Amino acid sequence: MSILGSLRIFASSAVFSFRAQFGWLYPPMWLTMKLIMSLSQMAFFVFVGQFLVSTNNASTSIIAYIAIGNAVQALSWNTVFSVINITSHDKWDGTLPLLLATPAHRLPLFSGRAMMHVFDGMVSVAISFAYAVFLFGVNLGNADILALIVVVFLTALTMSGFGLLIGGFAFYFRNPLVFANIFTFILLIFCGVNFPVQSLPQPLQFISYIFPLTYGVDAARQAIAGATLSAIAPLLSQMVVVGFISIILGYSFFRSFEHIARKTGNIEAV
Amino acid sequence: MPQTLRVIYSAFRMAMLHWMADPQWVIPNVIAPFVFTFIALTLFKEASGSFGLYAVLGGGMMGMWGNTLYSSGFAIEFEKWQGTLEEIVATPSDLLHIIAGRSISNALFGLTNMIAILLIAALVFRVPLGVASPILFAFAIVLTLLSVSALGLIFASAFVLTRYAQVFTNGLEFPIYVISGSMFPIALLPFWVHPAAYVLGPTWGIEAIRMAASQPNTPEKFWLYIGVMLLITFIYVGMAAFLFKKVETKSRRDGTLVQA
Repeated sequence: MSILGSLRIFASSAVFSFRAQFGWLYPPMWLTMKLIMSLSQMAFFVFVGQFLVSTNNASTSIIAYIAIGNAVQALSWNTVFSVINITSHDKWDGTLPLLLATPAHRLPLFSGRAMMHVFDGMVSVAISFAYAVFLFGVNLGNADILALIVVVFLTALTMSGFGLLIGGFAFYFRNPLVFANIFTFILLIFCGVNFPVQSLPQPLQFISYIFPLTYGVDAARQAIAGATLSAIAPLLSQMVVVGFISIILGYSFFRSFEHIARKTGNIEAV
Repeated sequence: MPQTLRVIYSAFRMAMLHWMADPQWVIPNVIAPFVFTFIALTLFKEASGSFGLYAVLGGGMMGMWGNTLYSSGFAIEFEKWQGTLEEIVATPSDLLHIIAGRSISNALFGLTNMIAILLIAALVFRVPLGVASPILFAFAIVLTLLSVSALGLIFASAFVLTRYAQVFTNGLEFPIYVISGSMFPIALLPFWVHPAAYVLGPTWGIEAIRMAASQPNTPEKFWLYIGVMLLITFIYVGMAAFLFKKVETKSRRDGTLVQA
């Protein structure tokens, strides 16, 4: 297949999978998730932090730490939850057999599905940072804004790779929505969003580094503290490698389960 | 068995059977409380004071609320998807009684969430869970459970009218965790949020539960919190009965039940 043909499949897959989510995620719900959920999730953990501050069990810096972590994590709702749910809705809406019957090359078809969610995730982060600054007093005065934008873009991109990985794996199961919920929430535990990764028990810390978000949250905090792009480049490189491996693994799952589904004739019920 | 109780029991039984047929559906609405409790316990690990109690009881409360809100929202949504809402409304049984049976069933699952969170906190995080007044603690939990169910009934009545029940279900979960002060004192919230906190039964319920868990001699405040919660719960039930009647009449008259 020509490069141009692959690009066409990639672009159409990106647009259609994003538009298709509005078949179930009505625009008001989309806006609700963007405006209310990101605020209430951030507020919940910030107030838990303030509880510690008010009883002299933590310093006030914990507020900014939590707010920044939750602002970056907001992109998971788009790049993980929504991307995994593409598989769910292909099953529910009966479009999976049609998708698998097309002669389109699977790699652009598969990877394109997540692309619009990358930009949607970046919008979520921007809204969350507005809450962090205007409601919870996070100071972006020292931030290297260019570095922060690059960090958010790369985190969204690599996390969509992680979403594709779980989506590819969930392809084999009847209700991928369950995976979408589990994997969106456990990121809050493992990725240093509300507390440093070092606070986790030692064996769990290893798991943290399989999620690109762990690197992204750390890099965002450094960029807000004033670190330049070159200073955080090593962290970003590690994140890109993890994200790339996620996409390759996800694609392998997708292809393997497609093969199983074709062989067993259980495309939607695998 | 009186007819009303029979209807409530049948709805309760059906909800149980649906759950047993596909138990994984419970995961989406219990994962958040588990994760939030884990995070709070990790944050509170080094702190001195009764933080563990706040985290665990708050997590349990969130589990009850998540389950009830989910059941209220999706009880109607699933009927719409399956095309059975018209039949249910057309039966001579009162819609309120049918939804009440489901709410009780889901609240019961909510209770199991709470117990699971308590067990995990005790076994994994070694949080001391000595309850100062076990009887009052159980009493406060059961009443809070009923209050949460009654709040769910109000939402369910509104959800009949809208096709955005799922929106509200997802959108209301986290704000109520915040507003009810499930894991921190509501005094920390901005003052303009306080009125919203005080009209929620769970806000008073969680205070009463914490008090029964931590104070051996029952203070007068415990009974005050229970009394206010009961009053709010009765108001919820009255409002739900009124709303269900209105909503049902409107849906029948306009013929927009499924399209709503």
